[in-house]
Amino acid sequence: MTAPTANQRQRRQVVLLRPVPGNSVVHRLWAGTKLLMVAAIGILMTFYPGWVPIAAVAVLVLVAARVARIPRGVLPSIPGWLWILVFFGGLTATFAGGSPVIDFGSVEVGLGGLFKFLRITALSIVLLGLGAMVSWTTNVAEIAPAVAKLGRPLRALRIPVDEWAVALALALRAFPMLIDEFRVLYAARRLRPKDVASTRRGRFRNAWIELIDLLAAAVVVALRRADEMGDAITARGGAGQISASPSGPKAIDWWALAIVIVVCGTALALELTILGTSGVTG
Amino acid sequence: MTRRSGALSPGELAQASVIAALSAATAIIAVVVPFAAGLSLLATVPMGLLAYRYRLRVLLTATVAGAIIAFLIAGLGGFMTVINCAYIGGLTGIVKRRGRGTMTVFLSSLVAGAFFGVLVVTALAVLVRLRHLIFESVTANIDGVAAIIARVPNMQGFAETLKRDFATALDYWPYLFFASSVWSIAMVTLIGWWALSRVMSRLLTIPDVHKLESSADGETIAPVPTQLRDVRFRYPNSDHDALGPVSLNVEPGEHLAVTGANGSGKTTLMLMLSGREPTAGTIERPGSVGLGRPGGTAVIMQHPESQVLGTRVADDVVWGLPPGATTDIPKLLGEVGLDGLAERDTGGLSGGELQRLAVAAALAREPSLLIADEVTSMVDQDGRGALMEVLSGLTKHHDMSLVHITHYNDEADVADRTVNLTGNGGVADNTEMVETASAPAATVTAAHHSDKALLELKGVDHEYGSGTPWAATALRDITFTVNEGDGLLIHGLNGSGKSTLAWIMAGLTVPTAGSCLLDGAPVSDQVGAVAISFQAARLQLMRGRVDLEIASAAGFSPRDRRRVGKALATVGLDSGLAKRRIDQLSGGQMRRVVLAGLLAREPRALILDEPLAGLDAASQRGLLRLLGDLRRNSGLTLVIISHDFSGLEEVCPRTLHLQDGVLAPAPTAAGGRS
Repeated sequence: MTAPTANQRQRRQVVLLRPVPGNSVVHRLWAGTKLLMVAAIGILMTFYPGWVPIAAVAVLVLVAARVARIPRGVLPSIPGWLWILVFFGGLTATFAGGSPVIDFGSVEVGLGGLFKFLRITALSIVLLGLGAMVSWTTNVAEIAPAVAKLGRPLRALRIPVDEWAVALALALRAFPMLIDEFRVLYAARRLRPKDVASTRRGRFRNAWIELIDLLAAAVVVALRRADEMGDAITARGGAGQISASPSGPKAIDWWALAIVIVVCGTALALELTILGTSGVTG
Repeated sequence: MTRRSGALSPGELAQASVIAALSAATAIIAVVVPFAAGLSLLATVPMGLLAYRYRLRVLLTATVAGAIIAFLIAGLGGFMTVINCAYIGGLTGIVKRRGRGTMTVFLSSLVAGAFFGVLVVTALAVLVRLRHLIFESVTANIDGVAAIIARVPNMQGFAETLKRDFATALDYWPYLFFASSVWSIAMVTLIGWWALSRVMSRLLTIPDVHKLESSADGETIAPVPTQLRDVRFRYPNSDHDALGPVSLNVEPGEHLAVTGANGSGKTTLMLMLSGREPTAGTIERPGSVGLGRPGGTAVIMQHPESQVLGTRVADDVVWGLPPGATTDIPKLLGEVGLDGLAERDTGGLSGGELQRLAVAAALAREPSLLIADEVTSMVDQDGRGALMEVLSGLTKHHDMSLVHITHYNDEADVADRTVNLTGNGGVADNTEMVETASAPAATVTAAHHSDKALLELKGVDHEYGSGTPWAATALRDITFTVNEGDGLLIHGLNGSGKSTLAWIMAGLTVPTAGSCLLDGAPVSDQVGAVAISFQAARLQLMRGRVDLEIASAAGFSPRDRRRVGKALATVGLDSGLAKRRIDQLSGGQMRRVVLAGLLAREPRALILDEPLAGLDAASQRGLLRLLGDLRRNSGLTLVIISHDFSGLEEVCPRTLHLQDGVLAPAPTAAGGRS
């Protein structure tokens, strides 16, 4: 029996690909601008993962979240095991010691290891938050046209960007339907009696067979969906327009880009000169 | 599976998109859900299948689309998972397509792993700072563990070794990362290869439901007037004609209704009109068909969800129009009664609204011929009325011919002319038409049931996404009781919360407030005790063959032929069906096999969500008769959830109406039942 405990009951459901309702400046930015910013900041952070860039981007994300009026409720519940994992990671790293060393009266604690651990944790959180901001403020319908426009230069290299954009739009359309079907599939699985094999090996084997069965059922459903979608595309005479409204940057987008460039540029300059923390230490 | 070059065909595009969504979904689950990382091993299978069935360009398109979706939801981790799955899945699929064996896969996986390893090492060599951060952070963790171990007496030596060995290993990181890349890619490839082979052996029997074909258009597009003479059609690998011989005309500007039972070739006639070549006979048109082209032929099909291609209403209207074409979207939406919904998400529309949207998208092409193929069969009663109103006005306001294929009598009545397809040797029983039934009044008088309460719902509220900005109330203050032997029909339109109610009653969803009790205990602690048959029967059939399926659903050995036969007999199926493959069953048979598996477990109650959807008249009546018999003869407690009434009131003497998440008017809350 898979009885949901009180804990499970309180866990927030994950809502996918639905923006937080609102019409803030961040919501109104062109989807392409947001994707560009995330890509650029992501590259900056992988090359220079120092405290200054991390803090600068964290501030950017928090300010943007404030402006977009993102409530705290959007955050998924963090499961207990993750807290435990982070705690133990921090604990073991603290024991490693290293500079800087802080004096707690009689005990000297070297925080070097802990800082390293905290930095990589902060980096992951900031990168996740950056991506999440895009999902929380962008309507899915705007993403494919933006990708088509951003990728336009690639057409000169005979890369079928428009085809990719059409497929992306269709995949985003099919995604919630498939998720619904997965939900039913999982529910149907829960309704069934549990495994009857007595040996561990038998149970293992049955689990694999069942996984294959589930996968086959999911694939069959997806293939049917694809066949029907193919018919629907044929009925429209093939691919063509994917969006009714024009997609492109407006004045506000240039301002937003300028802000991001200034903030990240300053952080990078500081990182490379006086406040460097990601440099290679012996 | 012909190799082609150039732009993707509609079929290829659809396959790439759906597989992209599938692999993105799997990758996201693998990244987000803890301990589900193993799932990403299986995410190679859909990509492998795509590489097996289509050319590389399709795989590449799916990879890009899937990776972007995974990135939007799960960040870089999701992105990399999809890329990896495409890399490994593509490898296994291509090897499979070439007809090679395990050895080839293994060898090519070593090459692929080596290539990937070089990439990883190069990336880490370039990203000096990130590499140092990761290495130093992990080193700190290891050193810390060593420091803790060193405090244990007699363990100093071990701690020293751990610390030193890890440091040495890091010195040789390029070799380490290279070797682990080769090893993991080879392992994942072998598992993926095995899983792909298993899944593919199951997929051999999937019937091709792909129907429409892009028309090869000549200079002039002019589909009407069309003249069919002695047209017959036979599907490849079939031993009988699916249609014909049929002779009929479609005149300009007329509204023609085509009626006939399932199996009489109605849908095949649609294919003929939309440009497929008949096997015999002739079809004459003044020009070419122009399927989906301006001034050509437009088709609206049965499934509301799958023919809508845009995520926003306005986007769907223009979807597929040639670039640069301008469309008066507000006018089109106004004509189909969807005024002001241009910016709405298509995911939130009801079946009827989706079908009217499909009409708007068809009208955007100003077609000369519009074919509507059973467009109302998956739409609720209100939606059906609104949709019929739109359809019947089309030929008056536009210069077009409308061919409306239907199995409802009253829908054919509004046409200028009706053609009845008699079918080719069809079953006599099959030719009756469905009368749409009107809603019976809500009743509380139950004919014969015991007074023992079985399922009790007390003040049930349900809200999706509680505590998030997307919170949406589905049910409010639902209170009623289902007694043993009851037959209860819960009637509600799309979006009334009836499916949520069904999930709560089966214990699959825990309500946000209130309780749903089975024999006095929460039903969510007894999942499986109340059986539920979902609307999509295919999703509930997990095994490849009927006997395996029933045995697995009911929990007995598939070798127990007697019990399989008995289960099949319960639902009126012949035991000869036991060895049949699931994907060879008809829609009605699938639903019965689901019921056989559920009933074999002797559930306390049986819930059916839209049991009649997608079944033809004869199968509907057969299923209703079966359900009525089960309730009368074996005292089965039945709860049917539907937007339809046709015949259900005989099976379910008691009716509850659900509207916008509340019971209206609440007939059982009074508690004044005898």
